[in-house]
Amino acid sequence: MLFSSALIGLREGLEAALVVSILVAFLVKTDRRHALRWVWPGVGAAVLLSVAVGAILTYTTAQLSFEHQELLGGSLSIVAVVFVTAMIFWMRKASKSIAAELRGKMDDALDVGPAAVLLLSFLAVGREGLETAVFFYSAVQTAQSDTVQPLIGFAVGILASVVLAWLLYKGAVRFNLGKFFTITGVLLVFVAAGVLGYGLHDLQEAAFLPGIGTLAFDASATLPETSWYGALLKGIFNYSQQTTVLQAIAWVAYVVIVLPLFLKPSKKTAPVPAAAAASKE
Amino acid sequence: MTVRKTPSLAVLAGAAVLVTLAACDGKSDTAGATADGGPIKVSASDTACEVSATTAGAGNVTFEITNKGTKVTEFYLYAEGDRIMGEVENIAPGLNRRLIVEVADAGKYQTACKPGMAGAGIRGDFTVTGGVAKQNDANAQKAQATKSYADYIANNTAALEEETAKFAGLVKTGKVDEAKAAYARTRVYYERIEPVAEKFGDLDPAIDVREADLEPGQKFTGFHRLEKDLFVSGPQADTPQIADKLLTDVKDLVAKSKTLELTALDLANGAKGLLDEVATGKITGEEETFSHTDLWDFQANLDGSKGAITSLRPILQAKDAALTSTLDKEFANVQGLLDKQRVGDGFKLYTDLSQDQVKEFASAVDALSEPLSKVAEVVSK
Ligand SMILES: [Cu+2]
Repeated sequence: MLFSSALIGLREGLEAALVVSILVAFLVKTDRRHALRWVWPGVGAAVLLSVAVGAILTYTTAQLSFEHQELLGGSLSIVAVVFVTAMIFWMRKASKSIAAELRGKMDDALDVGPAAVLLLSFLAVGREGLETAVFFYSAVQTAQSDTVQPLIGFAVGILASVVLAWLLYKGAVRFNLGKFFTITGVLLVFVAAGVLGYGLHDLQEAAFLPGIGTLAFDASATLPETSWYGALLKGIFNYSQQTTVLQAIAWVAYVVIVLPLFLKPSKKTAPVPAAAAASKE
Repeated sequence: MTVRKTPSLAVLAGAAVLVTLAACDGKSDTAGATADGGPIKVSASDTACEVSATTAGAGNVTFEITNKGTKVTEFYLYAEGDRIMGEVENIAPGLNRRLIVEVADAGKYQTACKPGMAGAGIRGDFTVTGGVAKQNDANAQKAQATKSYADYIANNTAALEEETAKFAGLVKTGKVDEAKAAYARTRVYYERIEPVAEKFGDLDPAIDVREADLEPGQKFTGFHRLEKDLFVSGPQADTPQIADKLLTDVKDLVAKSKTLELTALDLANGAKGLLDEVATGKITGEEETFSHTDLWDFQANLDGSKGAITSLRPILQAKDAALTSTLDKEFANVQGLLDKQRVGDGFKLYTDLSQDQVKEFASAVDALSEPLSKVAEVVSK
């Protein structure tokens, strides 16, 4: 009981914490600490919104219809993919200007837009927060009458996810910039691919897209989401034990297109043209 | 900063989706646990899925799922073809979760618990009854009703034009016996759609006026004039012209009926109007004074009334199920009496009915007329 609740907490927590920790690590490493003050309001707003929605859903009778829940979850996931992808390439571009910076050329034009940082952290947390909040309220309510075990397990799981995210952050900070950039970038590509697949699956469940029953594979026996490794995989990459063909195609297509683009050796042009291009936009 | 423009727009769009979805669902405040006597309890374990009730009325159905097993579970309600009506995921062992599903249509559904969140799950049959339509569908239902009735009208006007052409042909070629046989049969299509015909000022009198009702100066034309010529006085010099004019008027009516926009209230009033026609014309034997084929018209009026009520049925069923069943019963009663008077593919002549039989018809029509008069009010609610 405790264990399975903890796994859910871990998984939901990781999904939210992963992107935020990479964003924070990136800002710290590139000496943009001043942008950090935009991360926490985003996280805070997402948590508040999630808690509020969770409370409303639990304590009032108002309820989103199933299609709307899935449509909302699916749409937010796809918006999140757009954001994470933008983040990957923004990091790539910005890290180049950092190299120039080290050579003594400060580049303010490429400074991080506060709104972007705020919204990205909001989205990363808010996307899973809604679902988590409902779960949390139900755990609290049940715990009062029944057992506190699920609640403890859930809290342990979330705590573990925060610790994991923190370790990831620490580890990431230890790498040099080039290495950090490559490792987290590749990680984020897979994260975004998973989120894309997850979002499409939601839209299929809402019957907004067809093919919910057409499975590419069903690994629920060999690699169940309810195992600790399955929960980790789901938390980090949005692994799904039952993956539809559409989901699989989207995942592969995303990785095949974005990963090479990301790993493509960068041209030795760097700061000045990049800055010029940015300010022209 | 300019670099960030595009993504923030995307998020604004996302937020807009969120707000819109939340807003349009605000209406479902009535979604309550109290729908149909409290939530349906689902007791899920690793090997079983016990559902406390396997039927529910259409509308909001509430399940309360308790996971008594050791694995994380999910609960689903499926419609036919495994279409997901609602789901709760991630129910940890020891927890309760509530699921409220809006089921608008009656039919066969399936419940499923999925221990370990894997596979097709432990299925159970679930039946939804009633089919109470969503409140906000009222206008769509009315539109559907008028469309369905428009189809009924179109079928009958097409037949009317065809049969009138044949009938007029027989009259003009002097085939009196054949024309007499065709007379009542042709009028059936007219009598079924009489409320529609009455919408076109002069056409209804031109086609269907009775000799007794003629206004001073009004020419005696239409079906009843030909009825008199065929059954009583024999063909007159202007009989062929009258037949031609009847056909022209009918064609005119058919063309005009295609442009007619009826409301649900028109249907309700029409259904009642047709029964009034029966009471004032057919039961008294006044309509077909020369041919005495009143029972054919009677049947046709009844058909037309039933046609309008059939189109309104989903609305009536949702708003007043008791009235609907009363109507069904009384329609069947009148039909039963009519069936007793059938001869071949037609009916006994009015003049062959006994006084008691006429009285029996009159009281059956009154009994039907009473609930029919309530339909308009129910529909307009
Ligand atoms: Cu008449």
